[in-house]
Amino acid sequence: MTQPSDTPKTSSGSRSAIAAHPVISAVIAILIFSCVFFSVYVPLYASATPKIGDFPFFYFYLLAYMPVVGVVLGIVLFLQNRLRAPADADGPGEVTR
Amino acid sequence: MSNVNAVTFTIVVVLFLLVTLIGFAAARWRRAEDMMHLNEWGLGGRGFGTFVGWFLLGGDLYTAYTFIAVPAAVFGAGAVTGFFAVSYTIIVFPIALIFLPRLWSIARTHNYVTPADFVRGRFGSRSLALAIAFTGILALMPYIALQLVGIQAVLTVMGVGASSGNTFVKDLPLFIAFLVLAVFTYVSGLRAPALIAFVKDTLVYLMVIVAVLYLPAKVGGWGHIFSTAEAHLKSTSPVTHKPYGVFIPTTSNSQLAFSTLALGSALALMVYPHSVTGVLSTKRRDIIKRNMALLPIYSIMLGFIALLGYVALTDKTTAAEVKKANNAQLAVPYLFQHLFPSWFTGVAFAAIVIGALVPAAIMSIAAANLFTRNIFKEFFHPEADNRLQTRVSQWASLTVKIGALLFAIELPKTFSINLQLLGGIWILQTFPTIVSGLFTRWFHRYALLVGWLAGMVFGTVAAYKVSTPTTSHWAGSVNTIWGHTIYIGLSAIVLNLVVAVVLTLIFKAVRVPEGTDETSPEQYKADPAEAPVAVPAGVDGGVGVAGAAGD
Repeated sequence: MTQPSDTPKTSSGSRSAIAAHPVISAVIAILIFSCVFFSVYVPLYASATPKIGDFPFFYFYLLAYMPVVGVVLGIVLFLQNRLRAPADADGPGEVTR
Repeated sequence: MSNVNAVTFTIVVVLFLLVTLIGFAAARWRRAEDMMHLNEWGLGGRGFGTFVGWFLLGGDLYTAYTFIAVPAAVFGAGAVTGFFAVSYTIIVFPIALIFLPRLWSIARTHNYVTPADFVRGRFGSRSLALAIAFTGILALMPYIALQLVGIQAVLTVMGVGASSGNTFVKDLPLFIAFLVLAVFTYVSGLRAPALIAFVKDTLVYLMVIVAVLYLPAKVGGWGHIFSTAEAHLKSTSPVTHKPYGVFIPTTSNSQLAFSTLALGSALALMVYPHSVTGVLSTKRRDIIKRNMALLPIYSIMLGFIALLGYVALTDKTTAAEVKKANNAQLAVPYLFQHLFPSWFTGVAFAAIVIGALVPAAIMSIAAANLFTRNIFKEFFHPEADNRLQTRVSQWASLTVKIGALLFAIELPKTFSINLQLLGGIWILQTFPTIVSGLFTRWFHRYALLVGWLAGMVFGTVAAYKVSTPTTSHWAGSVNTIWGHTIYIGLSAIVLNLVVAVVLTLIFKAVRVPEGTDETSPEQYKADPAEAPVAVPAGVDGGVGVAGAAGD
């Protein structure tokens, strides 16, 4: 309908890309899962020690976790663009747009 | 108004006038040829880039809930019911990265304006779409009311109108703020909150950075703050005869409550209609993805705002004033008023007020779009053109805000906060339909509908039954199931899913009609550069045609 003609190419490109790059795809899945898991699994960090400066470990962990997630998701996006790149000639151009 | 600080008051008024001007000027920003179109009024032209998108989504997701309710909860009960919000605003982004880009693509391709538009197109079911739209509007009302309660908290501490015994005079400042909000939303649509979000985020960042650098030292440093908070939370409350709260969740039940609250809230946030509105207003698929990686920067701020609850607890004057008022929502405003110089208190108060106005505007737009598209046009006026749809949305946004205003004024504060938690439980019940629909057509539309109903009824009843020694109903959002303390929203969504799976198997076995699906797999990854064309045919492609779907 309002679909531009280049769309099917992009999508079929990324679809086959998952099969073509199983390792990168698995890494992406693991990274996203880890982001959630290491925050939801509270026993991992629910303790007052070791103290980091004046901060009990529990509070320090959660505050430090946020920039880490930002960086990890940045890596995920980078990897997703890598997945798409070979099948999609203007893929890298899209990143800078 | 004798106890009003003139400097604080003047700065708040000046900044408020500034955003009012911006709100009206926004109508001319990125002006389209035909503004009477829902893509323009309701989605700001669907053309925002990464930069504007970051401000808009940040302005959308971080609300008075963040600035007032979360530190209040940390002040009152510590880690489990308060600080979980930090964990929640972390994990919301990786989770959203999984499904939001697909929602963006399919909505772009089919010109969907609301999440219910998508459900209508995907499952060919008017009833399921109605359920999603109804839930969205229902859940947004108390959420908007919470924004007004946040504004009220600031006004109370400022002493504006508070000395009057007359309800009308007392709430007059709130009426004025509300009226201004209503009018600029009516005129400018989503462009107004998008543009004001720049001011909001600048002020909020300024407020948080100064607060974090300045306040802890004033009350004796972080070490002292944490030890005071720990001692207070472990001491026994004379009312409940239990400790005030939890400093670090070490028991398995407190950990479970913490993580289910975080996970449940994270799943809920991105299916809230106002989040979807923010997402659909961006111009490229990549912008959504990029913002999911950039928005955690905003959450760092939330972490420190939450800790201001402990700072308020440590400052004796603030703690005493909050106790006297018997309203924990006032913790942060009192803290600022007591420790900041009055001019900066003005800046911080303005940040909170404007921080509440931006999401309130987006929420009322989202609710209005749901009403127009999925109730008015679907059931009452199928031939409504773009102009009429936009006009209806404008009026609906006013109606929604009046409803929210009544919530905010008539109900006790604690009730309003808990209704927001209830809103979370409700909106979560739309998650299975919306998110499963983005990946698979396996679920049967009626199975999803019955699952939704089961989750709604269970969640509402369970939340109603939660009581404390001081509040008989709606006292919280966790309860105990088989000895485990779990967020009600999460237990309700499990019930919802189980019902949906079982009924899908049954309905498929007896061949209940499945409805037509107007989407195709590659459209979920599409990235059309142009916004869908602003012609009636394009709009109807999504919703109007499929009346033959058979329900």
